[in-house]
Amino acid sequence: MPLTTPWRSRALTAALLATVLTTSTACGDDAPGTSAGGSIKIGLLASLSGTYQAVGTEIRDGFQLYLDTHDGKLGGRQVDLVVADEGNGAQTAVPAATKLLKQDRVSALTGIVGGGSVAGVTPVLNETKVPLVGSNGRPELKDVSRIWHTSYLSDEPGAAIAQHVRDNVKGSVYAIGPDYQGGWDELRGFTDAFDKIGGKLANPDGKTTFTPFPATTNFLPYFARIKASGAAAVYTFYAGSAAVDFVKQYAQSEIKDIPLYAAGFLTEGGVLNAQGEAARDIYSVLNYSPDLDNAENRAFVAAWKAKHDGSPTTYALASYDAAAVLDRAIGAAGSDPTPEAINTAIGQLGQIASPRGTWQFSTTTHSPVQKWYLRQVRQDGRALSNTVVGDLATVGR
Amino acid sequence: MIAVAAGPNRIDPYLIPALDGVAYGLLVFVAASGLVFCFGVANILNLAHGLLYAIGGYTAAAVLDGGWASLALALAVGVLAAAAAGALLAGLLTPVATGNHLSQALLTFGVALAGGSLLVAGFGPDDPQVRVPAALEGSVMVAGHRYAAYRLVFIVVAAVLAVALYLVVRRTRAGMLVRAAVDDPEMVACLGVSPARIRAGVLAAAGALAGAAGVLGAPIIGPGTDTADTVLLLSLVVVVLGGLGSMAGTLLAALAIGEIQTLGVALLPSAAPFLLFAAMAAVLAVRARGLAGRWRTT
Repeated sequence: MPLTTPWRSRALTAALLATVLTTSTACGDDAPGTSAGGSIKIGLLASLSGTYQAVGTEIRDGFQLYLDTHDGKLGGRQVDLVVADEGNGAQTAVPAATKLLKQDRVSALTGIVGGGSVAGVTPVLNETKVPLVGSNGRPELKDVSRIWHTSYLSDEPGAAIAQHVRDNVKGSVYAIGPDYQGGWDELRGFTDAFDKIGGKLANPDGKTTFTPFPATTNFLPYFARIKASGAAAVYTFYAGSAAVDFVKQYAQSEIKDIPLYAAGFLTEGGVLNAQGEAARDIYSVLNYSPDLDNAENRAFVAAWKAKHDGSPTTYALASYDAAAVLDRAIGAAGSDPTPEAINTAIGQLGQIASPRGTWQFSTTTHSPVQKWYLRQVRQDGRALSNTVVGDLATVGR
Repeated sequence: MIAVAAGPNRIDPYLIPALDGVAYGLLVFVAASGLVFCFGVANILNLAHGLLYAIGGYTAAAVLDGGWASLALALAVGVLAAAAAGALLAGLLTPVATGNHLSQALLTFGVALAGGSLLVAGFGPDDPQVRVPAALEGSVMVAGHRYAAYRLVFIVVAAVLAVALYLVVRRTRAGMLVRAAVDDPEMVACLGVSPARIRAGVLAAAGALAGAAGVLGAPIIGPGTDTADTVLLLSLVVVVLGGLGSMAGTLLAALAIGEIQTLGVALLPSAAPFLLFAAMAAVLAVRARGLAGRWRTT
């Protein structure tokens, strides 16, 4: 590149810079989020690139679906949805959230795939006093006064299925999962509840086996140990490509006839297509299944299928519900829905009708008190799909 | 299903991991032998070697559709593409002085980063799925244990590849030139064979080997964003353990890695995260030159 930039391009750069500065000043003059025209600004932060792109896209599409089926309005106000990319974690999520909160001055934030991202964004939320209605990742948090989640806590799927496994498995159960925070929480949820009701783990030392994550791509050595332990069933949690590897190798291994129980993410969404036949008959626990029989769900699934290939996932549902929560909270916040007023209104919502069945926010954790379902991978028309085979416990605290 | 124990019960549970270690080890051997060739023969430290494997892996994911014809096609395309990428690397390396490892490492590392980004841009950030021929998708019984059919066949194919590689190096004129280049590069140059041509040939051959490993090994070490790093790391461990220039050493090191990663993990699951590197450190502490001696004494 030449050292001296031609005058014309310098002038152009200056002009562009001036335009950008003017625009951002204009934004800064607005009252936060709302404007005179009865519109409201909502920020959506999700992984639209990187490892969690599939989940992030579902979250964006779930929220957009609610807007599309409600005239683009939440609480009677036209929504100006500002979408930002969370990337792979807190490192990219925090700058993106800071822009949404400080520059775009949104009235509420939603989305966020990773628990680490939520933890990173929390200080900025507290500083700007804007509520987050998160639709996926939920880390351990000390102060949840402005943080709400429409998803679940990581230890809840395991806690919800423990009794069913205890009642239906004659013998001990082998617990195995990935060695990171999410894996520890998911497996602890199961083993704590299972232990409390007298269940016995087949693991030689009575403790869950954790596999290095994401380094483990070959599960055969672990399958050999499961075989040797004489387990009558296996409980696990994996997601993404690890879930595909685990399920495909399980189906070809010497423990293929041992029943496999899992947190629903093992067979949820795109991974099920990749697993194919290998996933048949796997039992999983989740707070949603597209074949649930209620009016809200029929409308939700029909609207989803009109726009997308395949069925909606729990990620899309949680984001759809986040929009529903904001819809009712903004409506209840009165003529001046400030972030503070919206936050107060969310706390007073009570029962929320949803495609997953009715649920409500826990007053202590601000995450749902909801029913969990037992699903099995079965043939549904041409494809395999997660079919609800029973209700499990209602969990939430 | 009740498996009839083939041997004493203490050993029986570890039969399958041990067998799987052979499959994994042979895959690492085919993948790493290219890097060992480059380093040992052409004296080029090629940090883009993992990328060549990834090219094969992504080709397999894109071409394989569950039929035999697609496997042959994937193998042909993957080998050619990776060999072409190897030849391209040789071209890029021409201005870099032979034996200047730092410049080579920087250049090839840059190529690895750029190539990795191109693969992700072209094939998406998700790990693509690989569909092996339907006949190999099931499992077979081995001594009373169930084992994936594809991996069993892979052991045979990789063993054939290893033997073919040995014969090419020992018995053909190309192999003789390559061995001569290890022993005395000046003399080979005096005989009228351009070292640049040998270098290009070795890099292309290394690419072809990595490409073949990438296609055939895709169901074992599948294509993904960190495949290139994984394969490069394993190959470098092979170089450290096996030394340079000896095929026996490379094979021994690769099989050791395979067994550590499978049998070792089955025996000591709690040590899984650091087992490989602990073993490497132990070998280096006892025998600084790796598991086998070199051809060349330097």
